[in-house]
Amino acid sequence: MFGSGRRSRRLWITLAQLALVAAFLAAWQWLPTIPWLAEKSHVFDSFFVSSPSKIVARLRDLFFGPPGVTPIWTYIWNTMSASTLGLVIGLTLGGVLGLILGSSAVLSDIFRPFLVALNAIPRIALIPIVVVLFGPTSLGSITVSVMVTFFVAFFNAYEGARSVAPPLIQNAQVLGAGRAAIMRYVRLPYVIAWTVAALPLAATFSVISVVTGELLIGAPGLGLLLGNATSTADATLTFSLVVILSALGVVTVLIADQISKRVLHWWAK
Amino acid sequence: MTTTGVRIEGVGYEYPTGVLALSDLDLSIPTGSSVAVVGPSGCGKSTLLQLLAGLRAPTSGHIDWPAFPPGVHPMTVVFQTDTLLPWLTAEENVGLYFKVGRAGRRVGRAAARARVDALLKMVGLQDFARAYPYQLSGGMRRRIAFLTAVAPQPAVLLLDEPFSSLDEPTRVTIHQDVLRIMSELDMTVVLVTHDLAEAITLCDDVVILTARPGRVLNRHRVPFDRTGRNAIELRHSREFLDLYALLWEELGSQIFTTSPDQQGSTSHVR
Repeated sequence: MFGSGRRSRRLWITLAQLALVAAFLAAWQWLPTIPWLAEKSHVFDSFFVSSPSKIVARLRDLFFGPPGVTPIWTYIWNTMSASTLGLVIGLTLGGVLGLILGSSAVLSDIFRPFLVALNAIPRIALIPIVVVLFGPTSLGSITVSVMVTFFVAFFNAYEGARSVAPPLIQNAQVLGAGRAAIMRYVRLPYVIAWTVAALPLAATFSVISVVTGELLIGAPGLGLLLGNATSTADATLTFSLVVILSALGVVTVLIADQISKRVLHWWAK
Repeated sequence: MTTTGVRIEGVGYEYPTGVLALSDLDLSIPTGSSVAVVGPSGCGKSTLLQLLAGLRAPTSGHIDWPAFPPGVHPMTVVFQTDTLLPWLTAEENVGLYFKVGRAGRRVGRAAARARVDALLKMVGLQDFARAYPYQLSGGMRRRIAFLTAVAPQPAVLLLDEPFSSLDEPTRVTIHQDVLRIMSELDMTVVLVTHDLAEAITLCDDVVILTARPGRVLNRHRVPFDRTGRNAIELRHSREFLDLYALLWEELGSQIFTTSPDQQGSTSHVR
């Protein structure tokens, strides 16, 4: 009885959500067709905001478009491969450095202020330097992603290494563990856990940073296409790309969440 | 191994903050015996255990250890706080010794496996071998922590208020398991505890420390044979109640000599 009440509540919530989306799409589709509204504001001008039907048609063209046009898959591949590579490199570097500094009070005291200062720099300010260093290439996009994900992983790993309770280390010591064994059997698993816990957030940041990088440095990918769409005032393409990026973002978070849950299955529920 | 056991002579410990936790403490722990150390809060009981574990060095005096035969693991500790590694199963935690140290790795995989299985069976946790710590109750986790320390079959087992976080019925049940394992593995045991009943139940001798700086006030022999001791029945006996009352009387004299100033500044002396 209680269960069926919960199910019907859930059904109502889903229906309400679908109704909201339908109302929004209907308003988006029909409001810009009223000339009086379009004259009042660009928000109601289909030239600037396009329409759901045009976006669906453009999405169909992008994925199954006429021959001769570069398929969207190439751009998606560029963006997602750069995001994944940047994420892996950033997490690995950040995790390793977090482990080292989190395990050594002296090294932590020396380097941590520099890392805090570096983290305070807006990454977007460094993009011109990335352009100069690597040009408008995928390497540039990957570098931007690494610059962002590294710090997410580093600070998590650092806290992970520092959060190991002293009795855990002392217990391993009295069982005969040396420094290397303590690192391998106690600190490293903690650091991996904390780094993996940051995976969903870091994965999202990675996609955002790669698209921003592509947009600003002109590296191949969805960001470059988005830049072109904006500069040619192609609202339909812009919104189509926003839809694709949103879908990719959701898929990325879902995958990262699943990996995180599987790796950290032992974490207290 | 000599029969003299561990000898603590004139040991003192002063914290870097200037707090003197222990002073001129003499104690002998014969091989194969079990000694409980009780005392008022902040008297340096846990500091003494850390000195025995080699986690701190005495600032005065010395601790003499007997020569252990080759292959015998000298000492392990059951800490007051949870030391289970959350990413390892119960059996992997119990078998930690066989992974982390050179001596442990020298024990063959099959022998290690057999020892872990036997220990889990001794405390009735064989069905929880593959469970992760978060899936275990507080009592089960403490049992696993105890088995982790016992698995190397150490010459000396140090227990630092190991069951203080548990409710009384669970604690008494675990005492029975601990008594059985202690008698089967023939270890020297040093137990630091606040619980006088636990001290009498598990040990051959109960040592009372003075208020800080801790030194030995008195040592009492527990009038029961440890072999075949029943943790629950023991509590109904006249001898148990008499010793309990005597220990309380002596401990009380030390608790009330601790000044309010000392009581308020003991947080860093465990």
